Amino acid sequence: MSIERKTGRPIGDLIREGDDPEQLYGELRAAFERECSQAVTPQQGQALRDRWLGRRSGLLSATNDHWLKAAPRELKPVVGKLQNLLRRDLEAAVKAAAEATVRERVQAEPDLDTTLPGPERSYGAVHPARLALEEVLDIFRPLGYTVAEGPEIETFYYNFEALNFPPDHPAVDEMDTLFLKDGALLRTHTSPCQIRIMESKSPPLRYVVHGKVYRNDTPDATHSPMFHQLEMFAVDESITFGDLKGTLEHFVRCFFGPQTEARFRPSFFPFTEPSAEVDITCPFCTGSGCRICKQTGFIEVLGCGMIDPNVLRNAGLDPERYQGFAAGFGLDRFAMLKYSIDDIPLMYQGDARFLRQFR
Amino acid sequence: MRILLSWLKDFVEINESPRELADALTMAGMAVDAVESEAGETVFEFDITSNRPDAMNHLGMAREVAAIYRRPLRAPCTACAESGPPAASKASVAIQDPDACVRYVGRVFTDVEVRPSPDWMRRRLELCGIRSINSLADLTNYVLLEIGQPTHAFDLDRLAGAAIVVRRARHGETLVTLDGEDRDLTDGHLAICDAEMPVALAGVMGGRATEITAETRNVLLEAAWFRPSVIRNAARGFKLFTEASHRFERGADWNAAPQAADRIAALLARTGPGQVLPGRVDCFPRKPKLSRIRLERAQIRRHLGIQVDDADVEGILSALGFEPSSDKSGWSVPAVSHRLDVERGIDLIEEVARIYGFANIPATLPSVGAAPEPTPQAAEDARMRAAVRGLGYDETIGFAFISSDEAERFGSGDPVSLRNPLSQLWDVMRNSAVPTMVRALEWNLRRNQPFVRLAEFGRVYRRAGASYEEPGVLTLGATGTARQTSWAEPAREVGFYDVKADVAALLAPFLQDAPSIVTEGVPSYYRKKHAAGLRSDGEVLAWFGELDPELARERKIRQAVWVAEIFLERLYVKGLRRPTHGKLPKVPAVSRDFSLLVPDAIDFASITEAVGEMPDLDSVEPVEVFRGKNVPEGSYSLLLRAWWQRLDESLTDEEVNGFAAELRSRLQSRLGIATRT
Ligand SMILES: [Zn+2]
Repeated sequence: MSIERKTGRPIGDLIREGDDPEQLYGELRAAFERECSQAVTPQQGQALRDRWLGRRSGLLSATNDHWLKAAPRELKPVVGKLQNLLRRDLEAAVKAAAEATVRERVQAEPDLDTTLPGPERSYGAVHPARLALEEVLDIFRPLGYTVAEGPEIETFYYNFEALNFPPDHPAVDEMDTLFLKDGALLRTHTSPCQIRIMESKSPPLRYVVHGKVYRNDTPDATHSPMFHQLEMFAVDESITFGDLKGTLEHFVRCFFGPQTEARFRPSFFPFTEPSAEVDITCPFCTGSGCRICKQTGFIEVLGCGMIDPNVLRNAGLDPERYQGFAAGFGLDRFAMLKYSIDDIPLMYQGDARFLRQFR
Repeated sequence: MRILLSWLKDFVEINESPRELADALTMAGMAVDAVESEAGETVFEFDITSNRPDAMNHLGMAREVAAIYRRPLRAPCTACAESGPPAASKASVAIQDPDACVRYVGRVFTDVEVRPSPDWMRRRLELCGIRSINSLADLTNYVLLEIGQPTHAFDLDRLAGAAIVVRRARHGETLVTLDGEDRDLTDGHLAICDAEMPVALAGVMGGRATEITAETRNVLLEAAWFRPSVIRNAARGFKLFTEASHRFERGADWNAAPQAADRIAALLARTGPGQVLPGRVDCFPRKPKLSRIRLERAQIRRHLGIQVDDADVEGILSALGFEPSSDKSGWSVPAVSHRLDVERGIDLIEEVARIYGFANIPATLPSVGAAPEPTPQAAEDARMRAAVRGLGYDETIGFAFISSDEAERFGSGDPVSLRNPLSQLWDVMRNSAVPTMVRALEWNLRRNQPFVRLAEFGRVYRRAGASYEEPGVLTLGATGTARQTSWAEPAREVGFYDVKADVAALLAPFLQDAPSIVTEGVPSYYRKKHAAGLRSDGEVLAWFGELDPELARERKIRQAVWVAEIFLERLYVKGLRRPTHGKLPKVPAVSRDFSLLVPDAIDFASITEAVGEMPDLDSVEPVEVFRGKNVPEGSYSLLLRAWWQRLDESLTDEEVNGFAAELRSRLQSRLGIATRT
C-alpha cells in the first residue's frame, strides 16, 4: 500500500490490519528520508516540502486528520507525540535540504566573466523628424495648443486661394507644386489646415498643425520632394504682433536652449501681414560665427506673421473682430539643426545605421 | 540684386559703415545677403521679396534708407538742354489697348552717335553685373538700375511712319526679336508696332528690325507701363524672361515712366553726342484711380500691441513717399503709384512696423484662450508607437510616391496619379505602404546589414468618390537574424512566427478577445502559405508574412524578407481596451501532455477548435512540432499541453484524468487523431 493511501485511511483501520503507530510513523520517516536524499535542485526541495508539509494537502496534514484526530482516545497521547516528533524532524530536514541545494547550485556554477557583453536588446529608434515633433509639441501643449494634422491631398482653393496667394504667384506653378491628374494637389505647406480649422471652429483658437508636405523638387542634399512642416497659429480678439514675438521667443529658447536669441526680420508671405522671418543666434557657435551659420552668427529658422485679414475673411471670420498670428517651419530642418544631420536624403532612405543613432 | 553704396549716396546721405547699413536694411525687410568690396566700391547683394519691385533699384533702395534714418531723398537730376523741333512733330504714339498699356512716354533724340559709354557709367554697370554694350543700350540699362523703369530705344528712321501703335498683335503677324528668334504672335500678345507691323514684344523684348545699330542717328525712346498679367503671359508663353519682363510682371510705376525718359534725356545730353528734342510724347489715356487708404490709430495698437507715436507714423510714411493727412482717429493716406502693394490699412501698419523696427515691439504672451481639445486617437497612437519601439523596430519614413507598376502589384483600385510626377518611379501616391518598406529593406541589404527591423507610420492614399481618403497604416519590415547576434545565444534567422508574435502583441491592447487567424485571401505579394492575417469583429486588422520571393528576386533581394501591415484606421477606432482585473487563482494549474501524430492537412487552429470549450480548461498550447525521423511522411508529430485551473480549489487527479480522457476523445471523434503514449 502506497503511503498516500495509508495516510488517507483512519489509523483505527490500520491497527486492526496489524500496524502499530510506531511502525506507521517509522515507515513515513523512512519514505521521507529516501525522497529527501533525491531532492537536489531547489525545485525538488520545494516539491518535497509541498508533498510532506503542504498546509492543506501535505502528507503530514493527512496523518494529522486521519491518524491523530481519528485515533482512539487511548492512543491519542502516543500518536500525538509521534506526529509532533515527525513534523519537527521533517521541518528541520526540509530546511536543511533547501539550504543544501542552494549551496550545491552555487558550488556547481563557475565564476562569470562579468565584462562580457549581454546579448544586445534595444528600443527601436524614433525617427529624427518625429523626435523633433515630439519636442515641439511638448513645448506648445502646455501653452494650450491643440494638435491637428489635416489631409495631404488638398484643393487649389485651400492650398493657395484661401491663403491669399494671387493666382499668378510663382508657387502656384507646376514648377513648384505636385498636382494630381484631376487638379487636386499635394499640399505645399500645412497652412490649408489653418483655413479648415478656422472654418469649422470658433475662436479662441490655439492650434499646432503638422504633417507631410510636398514640393516639386528633385531630391538632393538640401531638397526633398516630401518633408515635414509644422505650423502654429492663434486667433482671438486681442492677439498682437507682440504676442507672436513672445510666443516664438519662448519656443526657440525651449527648443534650441535658453541662451537662444530670436531676431524678427520683416519679410513677405501672401497669408500674413506684417510678415517676418525669424533668425536665431547660431546654437553651434552661440553667435560668434561658424560654418553652419555661414559666419553670420544667425540661422534663419522660421517664417511668421499676423494672419492677413483676407485669410480670416476667406475662412469666415470677421477681421474687424478677430486677429491672429501664424508661424511655420520645417521639422526636418529643425531636426537637422538639432541633431547635426547634414544631408536631407538620410531622412527618407530608411538606412538602419542612420536611424539607430536615434534610439 | 546688386546695389552700390556710392550710387545710393547720389540720392541720400549715408554716414553709417557698410555693415551698419546692411544690418539696418536687413532689419527693415531688405535682406542683405552679402557686403562685398570690389575695386574700392562697396557692393550690397540683396535678396528682395517679390512684393517689393519698387526696391529693386538704387533710387527705391535709397528711399528705404531715407525712411530708416528719416533723411531727405534727392531725386535723380532730369534737367536737360532741349533743342530743335518738338518731339511730337517727329514721332507719334497711339495706344489702342489702354487696359494693357496704361501709359506710353516717348522721347526723341536726333543726331546721336553710338559709341562706348563713359568710364564711370561702364564701371557702375559692370559692378552691378551688367555688361556694357554701347552708349544707348547702356543708358537704358543704367536707368533701369537707377530708377527701376525698363525703357527701350528704337531706331526712329526704321519705324514706318515714325509712329508707335500699341495694340494686340494680329493672328499671323510675326516678329524677329533681338535674340534672333522668329516669333509667331497672336491676339494674346501686346505688340509695339509702327505704322505697319510689330516692332517689339511689349515689355519683354525689342525687335531686330528697329534695333539700335552703329548707323543709328535718330532714336525714339520708349518708357511705358504695361499690365503685369499681359507681360507675364507673354514671357511664360515664349519662355523669354528678361530684365524688363521681370520688372513689369511685378508691377512698375506709371509715374516713373516720364521720370526715366527725362533722366535718359538728361544723361544723353550730358554724355552726348546727340540732340534732345523738346517735350515728351506722353500717351496716358486713362489715368488709373488710386484709392485713399484709411489708417486708424487704434488699429496700429490692435495689431502691434503698442502705440506708435503719431510723429513716427507720419515721419515713416512720408519718408516712404506717402502723403498722410491726419484727423481725429488716424490718417487718410492716398495710395501711391510706386507702391501698388500698399492698398489697405494693414499694409500701412506693416510699413510703419518694419521701419519702426520689429525689435522695438515688446514681446508678450497671449492668454491660453480656451482649453485645448484632445487630439483624436492620440492615446492610441502613443501606445502603438511605444509598443513598436519596445519591440525593437527602428522608425523609418519613406516617400509617399510609388510607381504605377508597384501600385498595381501591391494595391487595389484606381491609384491616385500625379499630373507632373518627379519621375516614372514616383508617378502615383502609394495605395500600399509595402513597396516603400521593401525599398528600405533593399537599401539595407545592399549595405550588408545583418539585422534589420523597420517600422513606418504613414498613410496610403485612395479615392473616395470625388474626394480622397488617407488612412493610416503601420508597416513593419524584418530581415536577417532574429536578434542581434551575440556570443551568449545561438544565431537564428527571423521567421514567420517572430513577425506574427510582434503583430499579435501590437494588436492586443486594442482587442477585448484574441483575434482570429486568417489564412484565406492573403494578398498575392506575400508568399503563399508563409503569410496570414489577423481578424477581429469581421475585419482584417493586419496582414503579415514573407514577401513573395519572386517579387523579392526582381528587386535583387535573395534572402527572406518579412513584412507586416497593420491597418491603423480600423484599429484605432476601437480605442484602447480598458483592462479589468480578474481574480488570481489560489492553487497552481495542472497540466497534461498529449503526444499526437497529425496529418499535414490538419493545422493547429483545427486542433484547438476540435478541443473546444471544456470546464476548467485554461489553455491548450503546442510544446513541440516535429517532422522527420520516425514520423511518417505526410504527418507531423505534435506535443500538446493542456492546462486546467480552478480558482479556489485544487483539481484531483481523478478529475484531471477525466478531462484528459474527454480531450482525447474529442480529438479522436472530431479529427480522427489518436493520441500516443
Ligand atoms: Zn554658427
